[in-house]
Amino acid sequence: MIQASDLALQAPDGRLLMEGLELAVPRGGNLLLTGPSGCGKSRLLKVLAGTERPARGQVRVGGREIWPVGGVLALTGHVRLGFAFASGGLLSNLSLRENIALPLRFLDLPLPDQQRRTEGALQRLDLQAVAGLRPHAVSAAARKHGNLARVLALEPELILLDDPLEGLDAGDRAIAQDLIQAWSESAAVTLLIAAEEPHAFSFLEAERHQLSGAPMSVESP
Amino acid sequence: MAYLARLGAPVRGFLEFLGDQAHLVLRTLRHALLLRMNQLAVVAGQVKLQIRFTGLDALWLVSGTALLLGAVTLIQAFSQLSGLGAENYIGVLMVLIILRELGPLLTAVLIIGRSATAIAAELGAMQLNGEVDALAIHGINPYQYLLLPRWLGVLISVFVLVVFFDTAALAGGFLVAKFKYGVTFGFYMESVRQTLSNLDFLATLLKIVLFAGAITFHACHFGLRIQRSQTEIPQAVTKTVVSALVAVFALDGLIAALFYF
Repeated sequence: MIQASDLALQAPDGRLLMEGLELAVPRGGNLLLTGPSGCGKSRLLKVLAGTERPARGQVRVGGREIWPVGGVLALTGHVRLGFAFASGGLLSNLSLRENIALPLRFLDLPLPDQQRRTEGALQRLDLQAVAGLRPHAVSAAARKHGNLARVLALEPELILLDDPLEGLDAGDRAIAQDLIQAWSESAAVTLLIAAEEPHAFSFLEAERHQLSGAPMSVESP
Repeated sequence: MAYLARLGAPVRGFLEFLGDQAHLVLRTLRHALLLRMNQLAVVAGQVKLQIRFTGLDALWLVSGTALLLGAVTLIQAFSQLSGLGAENYIGVLMVLIILRELGPLLTAVLIIGRSATAIAAELGAMQLNGEVDALAIHGINPYQYLLLPRWLGVLISVFVLVVFFDTAALAGGFLVAKFKYGVTFGFYMESVRQTLSNLDFLATLLKIVLFAGAITFHACHFGLRIQRSQTEIPQAVTKTVVSALVAVFALDGLIAALFYF
């Protein structure tokens, strides 16, 4: 599903975060990337999603080239991608329900299916009480769950999660863990998670790799 | 050589900016052609929102400004030319000053102040919050969801507001003409109609299309370039205003030279 070769990532200040990264994640594979804050985990996820250009290297997702040319728009209509942002990412002028439904409206889905998936995702993430509110009016945990609910409703084949458990209390964390575990057990889903603390994902059956900024090779079975 | 390089840098920057603008316009047009039926409803909803903000909400501001401008134009003209039979040139004055030039130009200036600034700030905030990335990642093409509706919304709004501006300015001029010289409505409108030509309509339509494009794509360009911090937003807004004003005045001069020189 994901092949990256000779990948180099730079921080906005020009500092080299990692170089020579070789990455291969097969369809249905799970990969947990961990590392200290600022080592480039989130940046790597954005590069793999096609929204951030790497300093060097090639990336193919679902057989389509996204870097050095193409970017995220090369995947539109070909690879269904879900991304849960560590913070932000929800449209601030839409309610949580509208945020979850918007990607579905861009698919060729009948309206009843859109509504079923939206309401199902809201229920699974326990967001029904705040579904009509905009992101600024809900808690940080609800925004985090809103990101996960949008991914869930979209039913993507590739899921990228950026620190999905950070800042969640025990109850909210259990709901998110349950969902992430279900994704990790699905053969139809390729799952990549970037997180600072690996022990928060002890429940997960996934390849684990520590990012350190040094040249490295990552291969998920 | 260093001196020449310093001279060349702004020229290169300007050409790169023009290239970016052309790139944005062409990509928006190309992605507009790829829209599917089910996506049209979403885009249409966004167009409606843009029309409401740029067009509907500005209607009273534009009409009020135009009414006063039309009245003031004829007051000043009569005060200077009353001995020269100014009442016979009412139509010429209104068409030359208001309909040909100030109508589209001042409408564009008001829209730059109200809407281009808002578009640049909104897109900048969306960039910082990761919303533009989120759209693209989840299969919502930003050209279709963000740029196209703003372009269409501004285009329709500029058209409607220019019509309202011209109508209100003519009404303001008529009020002065009636109360100062007792000019009848029939005489006033006939005088305007005789001066107006098809060329004026064509030039105004061209201005509307070009002004709307310049306003929208300047705002989108500067808004979407924001990458790092909130402090970039006011800078982008200022650049949008200055750059869009220069573009609108340059286009206005170009069209005037093309049609009337």
